[in-house]
Amino acid sequence: MKNRIKVLRAERDMTQEQLAELVGVTRNTIISIEKDKYCPSLKLGYRIARMFGVGIDEVFTYEEDKDGPAADNDE
Amino acid sequence: MKHFTYLTCTLVVACMVAAMVGWSMAAGNFLIPVIAIPLGIIVVLACRAQVGIVVADEREKRIRSKAALRTLEVVVIGGAIAAIILYSYVVSIPLTPIITGKLFNNDDGTQSMTIAEYKPGNVPGPQTLVRSKTISDLNAMNESEAMTYCTYVREGFSENENRGLAGMTLGFILAVLLATFGAFYLYYDRKY
Repeated sequence: MKNRIKVLRAERDMTQEQLAELVGVTRNTIISIEKDKYCPSLKLGYRIARMFGVGIDEVFTYEEDKDGPAADNDE
Repeated sequence: MKHFTYLTCTLVVACMVAAMVGWSMAAGNFLIPVIAIPLGIIVVLACRAQVGIVVADEREKRIRSKAALRTLEVVVIGGAIAAIILYSYVVSIPLTPIITGKLFNNDDGTQSMTIAEYKPGNVPGPQTLVRSKTISDLNAMNESEAMTYCTYVREGFSENENRGLAGMTLGFILAVLLATFGAFYLYYDRKY
Protein backbone atom coordinates (compact mmCIF):
# COMPACT_ATOMS: atom_id res chain seq x y z
CA MET A 1 0.00 0.00 0.00
CA LYS A 2 1.53 3.29 -1.13
CA ASN A 3 0.45 6.62 0.28
CA ARG A 4 0.90 10.35 -0.29
CA ILE A 5 0.55 11.49 3.31
CA LYS A 6 3.97 13.11 3.39
CA VAL A 7 3.22 15.15 0.25
CA LEU A 8 -0.24 16.13 1.48
CA ARG A 9 1.23 17.17 4.83
CA ALA A 10 3.90 19.23 3.14
CA GLU A 11 1.30 20.97 0.98
CA ARG A 12 -0.62 21.97 4.12
CA ASP A 13 2.51 22.70 6.18
CA MET A 14 1.42 20.16 8.75
CA THR A 15 3.71 18.22 11.08
CA GLN A 16 3.37 14.51 11.84
CA GLU A 17 2.48 15.39 15.42
CA GLN A 18 -0.35 17.69 14.30
CA LEU A 19 -1.78 15.11 11.92
CA ALA A 20 -1.53 12.43 14.60
CA GLU A 21 -3.47 14.58 17.06
CA LEU A 22 -6.13 15.42 14.48
CA VAL A 23 -6.80 11.80 13.49
CA GLY A 24 -6.42 10.42 17.02
CA VAL A 25 -3.29 8.30 16.82
CA THR A 26 0.32 8.62 17.93
CA ARG A 27 3.11 10.19 15.89
CA ASN A 28 4.72 6.74 15.65
CA THR A 29 1.68 5.48 13.75
CA ILE A 30 1.91 8.34 11.25
CA ILE A 31 5.65 7.69 10.81
CA SER A 32 4.98 3.97 10.23
CA ILE A 33 2.22 4.67 7.72
CA GLU A 34 4.36 7.16 5.80
CA LYS A 35 7.19 4.62 5.63
CA ASP A 36 4.77 1.91 4.39
CA LYS A 37 5.62 -0.15 7.43
CA TYR A 38 2.08 -0.18 8.74
CA CYS A 39 -1.15 -0.48 6.83
CA PRO A 40 -3.84 1.57 8.59
CA SER A 41 -7.38 0.39 9.14
CA LEU A 42 -10.08 1.54 6.74
CA LYS A 43 -11.45 3.79 9.49
CA LEU A 44 -8.12 5.53 10.02
CA GLY A 45 -7.57 5.74 6.27
CA TYR A 46 -10.86 7.61 5.88
CA ARG A 47 -10.08 9.87 8.85
CA ILE A 48 -6.73 10.84 7.28
CA ALA A 49 -8.32 11.45 3.88
CA ARG A 50 -11.10 13.53 5.44
CA MET A 51 -8.52 15.54 7.38
CA PHE A 52 -6.79 16.48 4.13
CA GLY A 53 -10.16 17.13 2.46
CA VAL A 54 -9.53 14.60 -0.33
CA GLY A 55 -10.83 11.17 -1.32
CA ILE A 56 -9.23 8.07 0.16
CA ASP A 57 -7.96 7.00 -3.28
CA GLU A 58 -5.96 10.22 -3.47
CA VAL A 59 -4.14 9.34 -0.27
CA PHE A 60 -3.71 5.58 -0.58
CA THR A 61 -2.92 3.46 -3.61
CA TYR A 62 -3.15 -0.29 -3.45
CA GLU A 63 -0.28 -2.17 -5.07
CA GLU A 64 -0.24 -5.95 -5.20
CA ASP A 65 2.76 -7.40 -3.38
CA LYS A 66 5.14 -9.75 -5.13
CA ASP A 67 4.42 -12.32 -2.43
CA GLY A 68 0.67 -11.89 -2.81
CA PRO A 69 -1.96 -10.08 -0.77
CA ALA A 70 -1.50 -12.32 2.27
CA ALA A 71 1.99 -10.92 2.84
CA ASP A 72 0.60 -7.49 3.78
CA ASN A 73 1.53 -6.58 7.35
CA ASP A 74 2.21 -10.21 8.15
CA GLU A 75 5.31 -9.47 10.21
CA MET B 1 -2.88 10.28 32.30
CA LYS B 2 -0.04 9.01 30.12
CA HIS B 3 0.15 5.38 29.16
CA PHE B 4 3.42 4.92 31.06
CA THR B 5 1.77 6.29 34.22
CA TYR B 6 -1.08 3.83 33.71
CA LEU B 7 1.37 0.94 33.41
CA THR B 8 3.18 2.10 36.57
CA CYS B 9 -0.15 2.32 38.44
CA THR B 10 -1.08 -1.19 37.26
CA LEU B 11 2.26 -2.55 38.45
CA VAL B 12 1.94 -0.85 41.86
CA VAL B 13 -1.66 -2.08 42.29
CA ALA B 14 -0.68 -5.62 41.26
CA CYS B 15 2.21 -5.64 43.77
CA MET B 16 -0.06 -4.32 46.55
CA VAL B 17 -2.80 -6.86 45.83
CA ALA B 18 -0.25 -9.70 45.65
CA ALA B 19 1.29 -8.60 48.98
CA MET B 20 -2.12 -8.34 50.65
CA VAL B 21 -3.25 -11.72 49.34
CA GLY B 22 0.05 -13.30 50.42
CA TRP B 23 -0.18 -11.76 53.87
CA SER B 24 -3.84 -12.73 54.30
CA MET B 25 -3.09 -16.35 53.30
CA ALA B 26 -0.27 -16.47 55.84
CA ALA B 27 -2.52 -14.91 58.49
CA GLY B 28 -5.44 -17.18 57.60
CA ASN B 29 -7.76 -14.29 56.79
CA PHE B 30 -9.53 -15.24 53.58
CA LEU B 31 -11.80 -12.19 53.48
CA ILE B 32 -9.00 -9.82 52.38
CA PRO B 33 -8.46 -11.39 48.89
CA VAL B 34 -12.22 -11.24 48.28
CA ILE B 35 -12.07 -7.47 48.84
CA ALA B 36 -8.54 -6.70 47.59
CA ILE B 37 -8.75 -8.40 44.17
CA PRO B 38 -11.99 -6.73 42.94
CA LEU B 39 -10.77 -3.43 44.44
CA GLY B 40 -7.48 -3.76 42.53
CA ILE B 41 -9.36 -4.49 39.30
CA ILE B 42 -11.59 -1.43 39.85
CA VAL B 43 -8.54 0.81 40.46
CA VAL B 44 -6.81 -0.49 37.33
CA LEU B 45 -9.95 0.00 35.22
CA ALA B 46 -10.39 3.52 36.65
CA CYS B 47 -6.78 4.34 35.75
CA ARG B 48 -7.31 2.91 32.27
CA ALA B 49 -10.32 5.13 31.75
CA GLN B 50 -8.11 8.15 32.46
CA VAL B 51 -5.55 7.22 29.80
CA GLY B 52 -5.63 9.46 26.76
CA ILE B 53 -5.31 8.67 23.11
CA VAL B 54 -2.51 6.11 23.17
CA VAL B 55 -4.66 3.20 24.31
CA ALA B 56 -6.97 3.80 21.34
CA ASP B 57 -4.08 3.87 18.87
CA GLU B 58 -4.68 1.05 16.39
CA ARG B 59 -1.00 0.43 15.67
CA GLU B 60 -0.34 -0.06 19.40
CA LYS B 61 -3.29 -2.44 19.57
CA ARG B 62 -2.04 -4.48 16.65
CA ILE B 63 1.50 -4.58 18.08
CA ARG B 64 0.15 -5.77 21.44
CA SER B 65 -2.09 -8.35 19.84
CA LYS B 66 0.79 -9.76 17.79
CA ALA B 67 3.18 -9.65 20.75
CA ALA B 68 0.58 -11.44 22.91
CA LEU B 69 0.00 -14.09 20.26
CA ARG B 70 3.72 -14.71 19.79
CA THR B 71 4.18 -14.88 23.58
CA LEU B 72 1.37 -17.43 23.79
CA GLU B 73 2.93 -19.51 21.01
CA VAL B 74 6.40 -19.45 22.59
CA VAL B 75 5.10 -20.13 26.11
CA VAL B 76 2.80 -22.96 25.00
CA ILE B 77 5.41 -24.70 22.85
CA GLY B 78 8.28 -24.18 25.34
CA GLY B 79 6.05 -25.00 28.30
CA ALA B 80 4.72 -28.18 26.68
CA ILE B 81 8.26 -29.39 25.99
CA ALA B 82 9.33 -28.56 29.57
CA ALA B 83 6.21 -30.25 31.01
CA ILE B 84 6.85 -33.44 29.02
CA ILE B 85 10.52 -33.50 30.06
CA LEU B 86 9.61 -32.98 33.72
CA TYR B 87 6.84 -35.58 33.67
CA SER B 88 9.12 -38.11 31.96
CA TYR B 89 11.05 -38.33 35.25
CA VAL B 90 8.04 -40.19 36.67
CA VAL B 91 7.48 -42.65 33.82
CA SER B 92 10.95 -43.05 32.32
CA ILE B 93 12.92 -46.07 33.51
CA PRO B 94 16.40 -44.71 32.57
CA LEU B 95 15.73 -41.56 34.63
CA THR B 96 14.50 -43.48 37.67
CA PRO B 97 16.95 -44.40 40.45
CA ILE B 98 17.59 -48.12 40.80
CA ILE B 99 16.75 -49.44 44.23
CA THR B 100 17.58 -53.02 45.07
CA GLY B 101 17.01 -55.21 48.12
CA LYS B 102 19.04 -58.33 48.68
CA LEU B 103 18.23 -60.98 51.28
CA PHE B 104 20.99 -62.95 52.96
CA ASN B 105 20.66 -66.05 55.12
CA ASN B 106 23.12 -65.68 57.96
CA ASP B 107 25.00 -68.58 59.60
CA ASP B 108 23.07 -68.09 62.86
CA GLY B 109 19.76 -68.70 61.06
CA THR B 110 18.70 -65.02 60.89
CA GLN B 111 18.02 -63.09 57.68
CA SER B 112 19.64 -59.77 56.82
CA MET B 113 18.74 -57.42 54.00
CA THR B 114 20.76 -54.78 52.18
CA ILE B 115 18.84 -51.98 50.50
CA ALA B 116 20.89 -50.01 47.96
CA GLU B 117 20.15 -47.01 45.75
CA TYR B 118 22.05 -46.55 42.50
CA LYS B 119 22.26 -43.58 40.11
CA PRO B 120 19.65 -43.58 37.36
CA GLY B 121 20.55 -44.89 33.91
CA ASN B 122 23.57 -46.87 35.14
CA VAL B 123 24.32 -50.50 35.75
CA PRO B 124 24.18 -51.13 39.52
CA GLY B 125 27.73 -51.32 40.85
CA PRO B 126 30.07 -49.81 43.44
CA GLN B 127 30.77 -46.76 41.21
CA THR B 128 27.10 -45.89 40.81
CA LEU B 129 26.09 -46.56 44.41
CA VAL B 130 24.41 -43.56 46.05
CA ARG B 131 23.68 -45.06 49.46
CA SER B 132 22.97 -48.38 51.11
CA LYS B 133 21.68 -49.71 54.39
CA THR B 134 21.94 -53.19 55.84
CA ILE B 135 19.33 -54.46 58.25
CA SER B 136 21.26 -57.08 60.17
CA ASP B 137 18.30 -59.10 61.45
CA LEU B 138 15.02 -58.66 59.61
CA ASN B 139 13.00 -60.34 62.36
CA ALA B 140 14.52 -58.13 65.06
CA MET B 141 14.33 -54.86 63.14
CA ASN B 142 14.73 -51.79 65.35
CA GLU B 143 12.84 -48.52 64.90
CA SER B 144 15.59 -46.77 62.98
CA GLU B 145 15.94 -49.70 60.58
CA ALA B 146 12.18 -49.92 60.12
CA MET B 147 12.02 -46.22 59.26
CA THR B 148 14.88 -46.59 56.82
CA TYR B 149 13.13 -49.57 55.24
CA CYS B 150 9.86 -47.62 54.89
CA THR B 151 11.28 -44.39 53.60
CA TYR B 152 14.04 -45.67 51.36
CA VAL B 153 11.97 -46.09 48.26
CA ARG B 154 9.97 -42.94 48.91
CA GLU B 155 13.10 -40.82 49.37
CA GLY B 156 14.75 -42.37 46.33
CA PHE B 157 11.87 -41.42 44.08
CA SER B 158 10.91 -38.13 45.73
CA GLU B 159 13.10 -35.95 43.48
CA ASN B 160 11.59 -37.54 40.36
CA GLU B 161 8.10 -37.29 41.78
CA ASN B 162 8.62 -33.59 42.53
CA ARG B 163 9.73 -33.00 38.96
CA GLY B 164 6.74 -34.95 37.71
CA LEU B 165 4.46 -32.85 39.87
CA ALA B 166 6.06 -29.66 38.49
CA GLY B 167 5.50 -31.03 34.98
CA MET B 168 1.86 -31.79 35.66
CA THR B 169 1.35 -28.33 37.22
CA LEU B 170 2.96 -26.70 34.19
CA GLY B 171 0.76 -28.79 31.89
CA PHE B 172 -2.33 -27.76 33.82
CA ILE B 173 -1.36 -24.07 33.65
CA LEU B 174 -0.84 -24.39 29.88
CA ALA B 175 -4.22 -26.08 29.51
CA VAL B 176 -5.87 -23.24 31.47
CA LEU B 177 -4.00 -20.69 29.32
CA LEU B 178 -5.17 -22.35 26.10
CA ALA B 179 -8.73 -22.68 27.42
CA THR B 180 -8.75 -18.97 28.31
CA PHE B 181 -7.41 -18.13 24.85
CA GLY B 182 -10.09 -20.32 23.28
CA ALA B 183 -12.82 -18.68 25.36
CA PHE B 184 -11.72 -15.17 24.35
CA TYR B 185 -11.32 -16.29 20.74
CA LEU B 186 -14.91 -17.57 20.68
CA TYR B 187 -16.12 -14.41 22.40
CA TYR B 188 -14.48 -12.09 19.86
CA ASP B 189 -15.44 -14.43 17.03
CA ARG B 190 -19.09 -13.96 17.97
CA LYS B 191 -18.64 -10.26 18.63
CA TYR B 192 -17.09 -9.45 15.24
